[in-house]
Amino acid sequence: MTTALLAPAGLTVVGLVLVPLLLVVRNSFASADSYGGIQGGFTLANYQDLLDPIYLKVFGYSLGMAGLNTMVCLVLGYVVSYYLASRPPQRQMLLLLLIILPFWTDFLVRTFAWINLLSPGGPVNSLTDAIGFTDGPSQWIPSQGASFIGLVYAFLPTAIFPIYASLRGVDNSLGEAARDLGCGWWRVHSRVLLPIARPGMLAAALLTFIPTLGVFVIPVLLGGGRDQLVGNLIVTLYTEFRNQPMGAAASVVLLLLMVASMAVFGLAARRLRRKTA
Amino acid sequence: MKGTLVMRGRTLRRTVLAASIATVTALVATGCGGSDSDSAGGGGKELNIYAWAGEIPETVVKRFEKETGIKVTLDTFDSNETMTAKLSSGSAAYDLIEPSQYSVQQLIGQQLIQPLDHSRIKGLDNLAEKFRDPSYDKGNKYSIPWIWGTTGFAYNDKCIPSATSWKTLFDEKYKGKVYMLDNMLAAYIAGLQVTGSRATSTDEGEIKKATEALTDQKKILAGYNSTNYPQLLSTGQACAAEAWSGTAMAKVVAANPNVHYVIPEEGGSIWTDGLSIPKGAKNTDSAYQFINYLLKPEIAAMATDDGGSASANAKARDFIKDKKTLENPAIYASDEAIAKADFLLDPGKAMKHFQQGWTKVKAS
Repeated sequence: MTTALLAPAGLTVVGLVLVPLLLVVRNSFASADSYGGIQGGFTLANYQDLLDPIYLKVFGYSLGMAGLNTMVCLVLGYVVSYYLASRPPQRQMLLLLLIILPFWTDFLVRTFAWINLLSPGGPVNSLTDAIGFTDGPSQWIPSQGASFIGLVYAFLPTAIFPIYASLRGVDNSLGEAARDLGCGWWRVHSRVLLPIARPGMLAAALLTFIPTLGVFVIPVLLGGGRDQLVGNLIVTLYTEFRNQPMGAAASVVLLLLMVASMAVFGLAARRLRRKTA
Repeated sequence: MKGTLVMRGRTLRRTVLAASIATVTALVATGCGGSDSDSAGGGGKELNIYAWAGEIPETVVKRFEKETGIKVTLDTFDSNETMTAKLSSGSAAYDLIEPSQYSVQQLIGQQLIQPLDHSRIKGLDNLAEKFRDPSYDKGNKYSIPWIWGTTGFAYNDKCIPSATSWKTLFDEKYKGKVYMLDNMLAAYIAGLQVTGSRATSTDEGEIKKATEALTDQKKILAGYNSTNYPQLLSTGQACAAEAWSGTAMAKVVAANPNVHYVIPEEGGSIWTDGLSIPKGAKNTDSAYQFINYLLKPEIAAMATDDGGSASANAKARDFIKDKKTLENPAIYASDEAIAKADFLLDPGKAMKHFQQGWTKVKAS
């Protein structure tokens, strides 16, 4: 009975996840024909090619960007979540709605909105000019900074939700009690609230770090295509470079990196549980 | 040559629109009208076309349907690679496709298109001379050019008084104000020609030299851009940018007298998108009928008037209503300007040198 009930889910997983995944793995060991298609055979050449420093650099840069993005999203996510959780329940719903609202617009459109926001004559530039932050119109876009802003913007909501979820049920009196016992602002957070939020933070880190590795639109549109993430490399390998086997190999390496980071986060979660138990 | 990731020189709205149309139309089943899969002829009163977004105007399709009673389904793509992938997966049954010149070469190699039966084609001599018997497809054996364009650069004369050479895009004076197309093949046209090689080079040493030039150039670039560079040039955020001719660039050139589109003196390059019949096409009768229809000068003129692209049909000139487009270099480059321009060809085995070179440039 249970097997019959599980069948649709099982078939979906096999058909839509496992089969495509195995195809990619298979293709990563194939050699390319002269038009970049899959020729078959078995070779490790695609992986060997990826060991070239120019490709390793792309992987290294991606890991760095993903790490930095995760840290910034965690800090901002915690601050926003704390604010959210400390509002009256009615207000919380409204604020959450405001965070979800942008998702109703296509991601590409929102990224183009950032182009307008950051371009010369746009609001950000006018503001920095007005307060004399920079002299003369400054070039915000395209730049690595703009690319990073785009990444944080894209993943912040995903970081907020799990942290908020873990802070939501927390009784306000906990913080009050800590203050009564002489904790300052910093220690209220570091000793009382942060430990409670930690499982949410961990989930948020996972949800931010892994997808950042696969991003490819943001560096193209906001970063001026100057710095590539692994996602960009894979797209160019499959399209412009017409090297599907190597594209598949890069995808597999990316996948392994993701699994590895999940394992790291998983271990951290386990240690956390043991500590709290 | 075109963008792969993002559509060449078109606005966001059109990209998003085209993408959604492509998705929706891809879902429309092709039906079962085809009676016979014999490549020599046959097929019912229907025609399934897969073409570049915006290059076969809706008006042309509507008129053809009305005159012939053939039901046309027009799906669109935004890169040759997308088209090839769909075709080689065998999941789509098209009767007519519109690959670019280097893609024609690849499709021939992959045996995905069939030789055309020239006894069934009328009006080939309406084409401009450079599109009859082109280097990539001798004797127009596999493709009939429909639209053409160029790869060159554009500049704003408020910032650069005049420019004729690729060297402008490599000049440190304009640091932070120069953009290149975010496309490997397009970037290497400039890289190869500025270092004294031809755009069609497949020589490892020449490609290496071009890679070095492009790596040095990256230091002065504001960025790579294949989307809104005409706007950046118009507002002056960009002094100069490598550019594809076409609707978006032409609009800016027409509207802003400060912006100029040029084919560099080193040569530049020309591209063309033409009509080919895939192997196993079901409705070949309709396909030939449509090819002949597009070869009519008055219909070819609609590619310019309604589609904003340059027609490969020389006789179409007389039928083009908006004569100003004939003088817009970002649509119709003059014969003198493209005298030295090559068709960009499939790099074949040299692809790996380009791949390594371009990754090096991007990762530097």
